[in-house]
Amino acid sequence: MDEIRIENLLADALKPVDPPQRMSDRLHDTFSAITDAAASDLSDWAEELTESELQSLRDPRNWIRPVTALAAGGVATGALILVGFRRRSRFRG
Amino acid sequence: MSGPGANPTPESKAEVDRAFEQLYRDHLKDVYSYSYYRIGNHHDAEDLTEQTFLQAYRHFARARRESDGRPLRPWLIRIAHNLAANYHRDRSRKPQTPLESIEPPAAQHSTEDLVEGRAELRAVIENLQELPDDRREALVMRFALGMDNREIARAMGKSDGATKVLIHRAIKQLQELLEEEGAPVEHG
Repeated sequence: MDEIRIENLLADALKPVDPPQRMSDRLHDTFSAITDAAASDLSDWAEELTESELQSLRDPRNWIRPVTALAAGGVATGALILVGFRRRSRFRG
Repeated sequence: MSGPGANPTPESKAEVDRAFEQLYRDHLKDVYSYSYYRIGNHHDAEDLTEQTFLQAYRHFARARRESDGRPLRPWLIRIAHNLAANYHRDRSRKPQTPLESIEPPAAQHSTEDLVEGRAELRAVIENLQELPDDRREALVMRFALGMDNREIARAMGKSDGATKVLIHRAIKQLQELLEEEGAPVEHG
């Protein structure tokens, strides 16, 4: 028995297998649902913002204000906690 | 589930989805055939095929960028290969023999020839299960999926040369097993 004969037998034994139709349909439905949902999310998000808002979101210079506001909020919260702690210490003393 | 790519524009997202749909149409049969011959039953092969495409979808945009225009079938089969390895590890199962799928060769005519042909194929499939995993997988990729050495090499993460040797040894070992067994193999 030579190699060619073995290769012919392998080609006959290992034929491609057709997937069941129900699986093809199910998988197709799954991907349709995923891509539709993704497209819809993207479209909703884009519709909520005007073109000028989108432009300003892309500009890093406009990221400074929210960062400054967060930092200021953090400092103010820290100061309030400190004042409250000192007041409670004074009442106890 | 996060889709392909980060912050894509609607156009590019649609383009990626269209490309993925094409990949799915082109290679569903390949992934299913590979899964079936690795797992050995239709039910789990369906699950493995679904998981392969879901995982492929998650990483598709990146794979497309990195493929540099090369075919994505080896990448897809590599995903199925890894998932099949997990399947066998998790269940500690050996692949089952998918005998029910075998049809006698079309060239056979008489009843005697038909029976002999079926016995030959049965012997080939049974002895295929005796090969080491990497040799059996390489033969499945070559003969069930029609992949060339380069594609098989990419799917298995080996060099072209190592893949050529692997396939040669797999065929040689199968030949020896069939001869040892005295399988009813007619000389062509």
